Amino acid sequence: MKIKYKPWAKVLMYLVEAIVIILSVFPILWVIMSSFKTNGEILSSPLALPAHFSLDTFIDIFQKYSFPTYFFNSLLAAGVSTLVSLLFYAMGAYVIAKFEFPGRKLLFALFTITLLVPSHSKTQPIFSLITKLNLYDSIWGVTLVYLSAGMAMSIFVLKAGFMAIPKSLDEAATLDGASFFRTFWTINLPLAKSALATAGILMFLGNWNEYYFASLLTVSDSQRTLPIALAFFTSEFSYNYTQLFAALTIVILPGIILYALAQDQVQASVAASGVKG
Amino acid sequence: MKTAPKKATRIKAGRIQRANYKWIYLFLLPTIVIFAMFYLMPIAQVFVTSFTKWDGFNAPKFNGLTNYINLFTNSSFLIALKNLLWWCVIALTLHVGFGTLVAFVLYQRPHGWKFTRTVFMIPNVISAAAWAMIYKFIFNNDFGILNSVIRVFNPNFNVQWFYKSPWAFWAVTFTWLFYAVIVTLVVLGDLMNIPKELNEAALMDGATGWQLIRYIQLPLCRASIGTSVIASLTSRIAMYEQIALTTSGGPGDDTMSLPIILVKGIMDYRYGYANAVGVVMFIIGLIVLGIVNKLFRMDEADY
Repeated sequence: MKIKYKPWAKVLMYLVEAIVIILSVFPILWVIMSSFKTNGEILSSPLALPAHFSLDTFIDIFQKYSFPTYFFNSLLAAGVSTLVSLLFYAMGAYVIAKFEFPGRKLLFALFTITLLVPSHSKTQPIFSLITKLNLYDSIWGVTLVYLSAGMAMSIFVLKAGFMAIPKSLDEAATLDGASFFRTFWTINLPLAKSALATAGILMFLGNWNEYYFASLLTVSDSQRTLPIALAFFTSEFSYNYTQLFAALTIVILPGIILYALAQDQVQASVAASGVKG
Repeated sequence: MKTAPKKATRIKAGRIQRANYKWIYLFLLPTIVIFAMFYLMPIAQVFVTSFTKWDGFNAPKFNGLTNYINLFTNSSFLIALKNLLWWCVIALTLHVGFGTLVAFVLYQRPHGWKFTRTVFMIPNVISAAAWAMIYKFIFNNDFGILNSVIRVFNPNFNVQWFYKSPWAFWAVTFTWLFYAVIVTLVVLGDLMNIPKELNEAALMDGATGWQLIRYIQLPLCRASIGTSVIASLTSRIAMYEQIALTTSGGPGDDTMSLPIILVKGIMDYRYGYANAVGVVMFIIGLIVLGIVNKLFRMDEADY
């Protein structure tokens, strides 16, 4: 494709790029920068660079609050729920993609229509269910709720992934005497790895950042995830802005680092989720 | 003639598969259990109890349409509906429009397009709760970026963006307005799937760049635009963090949303009432899906 762009079109393109970059990066840089300033500096010269560089505030709030616990809770809730539900949904999507059986179409329709259910609308039943299971104020209750997030998207993406694997491979495996489970585990699962990555990344990101159910289902400090800890700090620190900015920095940094490590895969996943979504 | 052998293989395959039934349903079992626990039963419960008076401790008492009548005569609820309508209009035009514009710009591959695409995603890998807090600081009157910049030109400027009508509505809107990376990635993915020959043929026929966009590329990515419209409107129905952590629905009811009312209902032990809000959210979601599907003719194939 060779298109000659008019000068104004070029200006427009770079203008759009500049707006996107400023809106996405500047707020975060500002937060990180402010976490190194004193309270006085933040109030008197909000846009200036910090006068001194020191990690004292970070050390201070790390000593006062158990950030490793919040981090571990987030990792546990998002990681365990993603791994378990990925396996469950892969099993479901696999048989829906590859086999004919009574109820196949109905189940697929039911699983994917869950996309339309606003999760907030189920607040009370889920709250009651977790309380009844004696998992209120436990990170495991939150983990259990996260199992259900991303069902429709995962089934959809994984079914497409399994359908792209030639059936002749399964038939060859069956002829060689491979069991049903073996055909799934050693032939199909490895070949569906890009669909698994897409579904896994989207579920992990969603669960890692989830706030609503985590805030409703936990109260004690030892069960907080990072986003919940952050909301708690706003009331705790109220006018100590340095500490607030430092807490914000600690909460947002792990997500940004994870993204930096897997940026291409994350972008591809988001793009793939929209294809015939 | 053609169907006969096909049928034979299908019957054969069917026999093998019937032997697999116990495996098939075993594989489906976990997903069915999750579906029943977290979708089917909750939705049924929400629907049924929305017609009852229920505090969560005593047994629910049927009270007909009382919850719904209370809702639709409650000014906070009506303002929340009005806000939702406005937010949907803004999402449909400005939000999806901006995301699509960025997608079309990046599709031309100007310098730095990959970097732009990468950093645009950053606000979306951060928790919505953290993002709401960041904006609370950006719009802070004492040390926020916005007012600091304005004060360079007008030293006496003072506005509490999140606490003052009518600004609060727009401050909440701004926290998501331009962050349309999902729209951009989905549309860009669709654009990159357009066969090269199609673009080249149009250019050979003398189409200008603008005509290429207007008559070829834009219509071809309508399904992905439709998908992103649904995603974007669904998040408008579910707006919670951006509001709960900034304005809590205020000042007055200026930034009230349905989830905020729902959570308030639960905190007040008015479960039936809260579930009526849930039913309304559910129905609005269905209406949105139906309209968007029709509007973007999403079920038709292109190539």
